Amino acid sequence: MGCGCDDCEKMMQPYMDGVLSEEQIREAQEHLERCYGCDKRFRFEEKLRHFVRVAAHEPMSDGLKEKLAGLRSADSLG
Amino acid sequence: MSESAPTAAETRRIAEEARDRVRFEEEALQLSDQVYRVARRLTGSREEAEDLVQDTYARAFRSWQQYQPGTNLRAWLLRIATNLNIDRGRRVQRAPDQTPLEEGDYYLYNRLESTMPDENPDEERVLDRLSQNAVVDALAEVPHDFRDVLVLVDIGEFSYAEAAQILDIPVGTVMSRLHRGRRILKQQLAEKAVTN
Repeated sequence: MGCGCDDCEKMMQPYMDGVLSEEQIREAQEHLERCYGCDKRFRFEEKLRHFVRVAAHEPMSDGLKEKLAGLRSADSLG
Repeated sequence: MSESAPTAAETRRIAEEARDRVRFEEEALQLSDQVYRVARRLTGSREEAEDLVQDTYARAFRSWQQYQPGTNLRAWLLRIATNLNIDRGRRVQRAPDQTPLEEGDYYLYNRLESTMPDENPDEERVLDRLSQNAVVDALAEVPHDFRDVLVLVDIGEFSYAEAAQILDIPVGTVMSRLHRGRRILKQQLAEKAVTN
């Protein structure tokens, strides 16, 4: 099922988090250019992160906003 | 103590302090959407999240002088929130499971793709197998220690170093919990998508 690129699989999360060295980034990019399977999985991971961030979002209620504003000191309210 | 009127210097100091305080409160309130966004996923329900955010702001406004102007206010607020959340004794939950996860980072993709009839679907269509509810439910299944880090980094968009500071744990621990948390999330997502 997988493309057998174990190193690439291990480097993907740190690569996306921007914590690899320049050398490692270059290696990862070279690999992604050559390997269709990893490249597609990498694009999937990027979209997945975005999807999770958007899906997890639930707007704050106006009621809570008002309550928080009400917690301010008298100077702010005056 | 004398009953004499405050000196001009003292009056000025009091006025400056009041102004700083108002500014602090305004800046903190501007971040409330972002604080709520993270708090909502640190907790199990909307009610709990609202209580947590309210308590966070009540404490922040009381101890505003402990905030160092120029430092990251959002991280400072989230540090209060995560501490309060931990203080609420939600840690009665079992200690995080230490058994290794066999599946690698490609696990979710491979599982989803295997349920699709077509050869080599593009990644957009693979992602379509997931619903918003699946994400919300899957996040709730991630044990707290891992979820705290996952929510701060992947939803709150804090750096490893900021998450370490907020949770008062070493950066290496942030990285290992994040790694494991993401894998648990993917495993949960795979289960929810494949069984639906």
